[in-house]
Amino acid sequence: MRAWKTAVGVVLVGVMLFPVYWMVNVSLTKTSDMRADPPHWFPWDPTFEGYAAALGQQLPALATSLFIGLGAVALTLAVSLPAGFALARLRPRGARAIDFLLLVAQMIPAVVMAMGFYAIYIRLGLLNTVAGLIVADSTLAVPFAVLLFRAFMASIPGEVMAAAQIDGASTWRTFRSIVLPLSRNSVITVSLFAFLWAWSDFIFASTLNRNSDVIPITLGIFRYIGNNTTQWNSIMATAVVASLPAAFLLVLAQRYIAAGVTAGAVKD
Amino acid sequence: MNRPSEFTRASVFATAVLALSALTACASAPQGASGSGTASAGGSYTWWDPYPQHDASSAWAKRVGSCGQQAGVTIERTAYDTTALTNQALLAGQEGNAPDVILLDNPAVSTLADAGMLTPMADFGLDTARFDANLIAAGELDGKTYGIPIGANTLALYYNKKILDEAGVDPASIKDWASLGAALEKVKAAGAKPITFAAIGTEEGSFQFLPWFWGAGAQLTRLDSPQAVEALTLWTEWVKSGIAPNSVISNSQNTTWEEFLTGEFAFAENGTWQINSAAQADFPTGVVQIPGKDGGVAATPTGGEFITVPVQKDTARYAVTKKILECMTTPEGLVETGTTFAYYIPSTADGQEQILAKEPGLQPWVDAVRSAKGRTSDNLGTDYPPISEALWTAVQKALSGAASPADALEQAQAQAEQATGE
Amino acid sequence: MTSLRTEPVAVSGAARPAAPRGRARRWTAFAFLAPLIVYLLVFYAYPLYRNIELSVHDYTPRAFVQGDPEFTGLENYLDILADDTFLRALRSTAVFTLASIAAQYAIGLALAVFFHRHFRLAAPLRAMFLVPWLLPLIVSASTWSWMLNSENGIVNAALQAFGVGQINWLTSPDTSLLAVTIANIWLGVPFNLVILYAGLQNIPGELYEAAGLDGAGAWQRFRRITLPLLRPVSLITLLLGLIYTLKVVDIIWIMTRGGPADASTTLAIWSYREAFGTGQPDFSPAAAVGNLLILIAFVAGLAHVRLQRREETA
Repeated sequence: MRAWKTAVGVVLVGVMLFPVYWMVNVSLTKTSDMRADPPHWFPWDPTFEGYAAALGQQLPALATSLFIGLGAVALTLAVSLPAGFALARLRPRGARAIDFLLLVAQMIPAVVMAMGFYAIYIRLGLLNTVAGLIVADSTLAVPFAVLLFRAFMASIPGEVMAAAQIDGASTWRTFRSIVLPLSRNSVITVSLFAFLWAWSDFIFASTLNRNSDVIPITLGIFRYIGNNTTQWNSIMATAVVASLPAAFLLVLAQRYIAAGVTAGAVKD
Repeated sequence: MNRPSEFTRASVFATAVLALSALTACASAPQGASGSGTASAGGSYTWWDPYPQHDASSAWAKRVGSCGQQAGVTIERTAYDTTALTNQALLAGQEGNAPDVILLDNPAVSTLADAGMLTPMADFGLDTARFDANLIAAGELDGKTYGIPIGANTLALYYNKKILDEAGVDPASIKDWASLGAALEKVKAAGAKPITFAAIGTEEGSFQFLPWFWGAGAQLTRLDSPQAVEALTLWTEWVKSGIAPNSVISNSQNTTWEEFLTGEFAFAENGTWQINSAAQADFPTGVVQIPGKDGGVAATPTGGEFITVPVQKDTARYAVTKKILECMTTPEGLVETGTTFAYYIPSTADGQEQILAKEPGLQPWVDAVRSAKGRTSDNLGTDYPPISEALWTAVQKALSGAASPADALEQAQAQAEQATGE
Repeated sequence: MTSLRTEPVAVSGAARPAAPRGRARRWTAFAFLAPLIVYLLVFYAYPLYRNIELSVHDYTPRAFVQGDPEFTGLENYLDILADDTFLRALRSTAVFTLASIAAQYAIGLALAVFFHRHFRLAAPLRAMFLVPWLLPLIVSASTWSWMLNSENGIVNAALQAFGVGQINWLTSPDTSLLAVTIANIWLGVPFNLVILYAGLQNIPGELYEAAGLDGAGAWQRFRRITLPLLRPVSLITLLLGLIYTLKVVDIIWIMTRGGPADASTTLAIWSYREAFGTGQPDFSPAAAVGNLLILIAFVAGLAHVRLQRREETA
């Protein structure tokens, strides 16, 4: 019964990841075979040029992207956790206005956001800095994070909170010692998204970080897109190489969720 | 709707606070240590170009660097992809921190010049007379020259010799559209794929269509002329009858070339820049000029980048900029650029002779460049971009079957007239 | 969060917060919100203001650089509403957005429920679903256009094996919107899966056990327990999905550029094309279209708040 489910799971993953397989396939294909008709299902005659280029040229960009992603996660959590808590639990004035602002904020086209940041950063001297890019990338996640924390924290049973109040805990302590630990799942979810959005951002990086020596991986890929030629195998190979550390982080995060679940069960 | 009022108040307040904070930040914040975006430091000049594939260690980067050295400064080079470059230039122009030099794709020169962002070459005493008139035309607007071509490229038909031999086609027989059509039919009968080109809905699509458009005798000032319809009908019939693959509608020039490299296609319309790649293909290749409808060689559009100099507040910088430009455009410099880019045809007669002495095989391409035509010439200037957009839209409509060639072009003409305000 | 042992009722909807105590309480709330408020003011207000300002002027490239645009009031908006492209783009936007979020949500929920059971390798397999998200959009969108190529795409090659003739996914006005929608659904499934899965984990397991004792089947349990208790999370997922899908540009742009013949042009694509897609940037109409999109999201937000309030009072 359970083995059957695993089998279905594997098939589902296979279907979902087929485009990823195709990307790996292209990363190993020689330029002269790339547009063959019918296409080659499998790279029988592989080339490793793409991987050589990716590993030889893109490792610094990879590290930069990791750093930016983690920075964006930290900033996103710092801003949105207390805000989500306040909106869900403290009934502040103007909560609806903030709701609307958050929704509208997410609708501003990325390009317009980038133009705005450019104008601000040029005055603050933040163009071409990693810190600047971290702040810009965090705007991709903050409205989402606040809304999500709000939804999740609202579902924490009132009794748990009330008990803390009776114990005389301050709001800050209630937040820190009760709400935060209970919100672990949503924190991980938000972190995941904040990381991934920062990781895959191209528009901010291309507007705000062009002249920099430290560039994220999405910009690094552009060195393979020339005016007149496109080195597809290098592009795809870079994407494969770049997704490995991020995939590792994902698996870690999954473990952590699983561990949280078990710990809870033991406590009871 | 009483809720939004609360929101409106909040947003008005927000805007005011931001304006304040931006002002204070402006007054108090020191320039960030690593903020090298502005062209401030004394001995360093900023340079933007659309060649991200050439990184800091490339021959091109070294060449740019050495021209800076000769002028006694260091050059900070930044590469953007072509489309991002124009936008970034406008943004920088608005914020007043444009770089000292920008290498621009030629249709963009008119746009930026019209925006008042570029310095005319005459203003800092650069002689432009030695450049080929048909090439430098794209850098001219209202009688002033705003950029000089560092080289030029254009289009022709590459062919796969193996396929043509097997199909019994002699490339020398291709003199006009009829003989080209006969050759394509022969190839098809022999079981190979006849031709591929790029009809993508971007400037590239117009670029590739223009040799056929001009070759039929059509003019960009009249998109729905009978000649224009003939040219578009030619392409449409090719796609309908399977002479060209359906994917040309979304093909960029790069994709087209990747298709040609599989060895499945007899012909591919592509440019000077593929000379090296063609030589390294798994099969023997050759080149013929794109024929005009009734014979002769069709005018092909010129491609290639122009060196331009954005307006600087500090006009003292122009003296050094001039030295950098001169270094890039000596005959030797042009030849060097030409070979670095595999291949750019030099934009002056001297340069062309020198590169031919080195590489006699380039003769057909030098001829093609000499007979090529600027896209913004015919005094179109900034009218060209909207006309071109209308043209590629018509090509897309006709090829995908959304409209007949005649209807598509009629709509295109209306669109162009509206956009150019005529 | 299986450590929560409370009545299930409290889990559904927004539970009432602990009773506020006067002014001090208000200030505490404000203190918690302050970082967000500052953040919103500094980083979002200016771009929003800028977008509105662009849309009520006539910004040619020249005016953009020189900073002297002509004030035109609502002219840009009127031009857009009168444009032939408007109704077509509105229709495409509706089809693209609704089809995308409906399919993403349905698939995401089905997968979340499936992976919520305990079986061997469930966790790593679930993690694999996120891999599409690790890829830069330019790469995944290019891969899709590669796979959907008319002549040398793998999808057509596979269909051919079943006797289906060549489908011009990206180059026919009849299918290009469908093609980009499929690719977008693929991109959005991980997002839905992750949020809905986290939501499922917040539903106390005892409820299912109790229902199991009562003899409820799998479908019954899903309808009676999962769906109702997941409602707040579902609402926010759909709302965010709507907002993100409305402004999708990259994937459509890379795959079809809104074509052929405008067949896959959504409002967001239209806006992007006006500003950046041609040789001549038209920032003002682009901003006007962008503001129309913001307006649509605003209406969706209103609907969401209505729903939420009804839920809270229910």
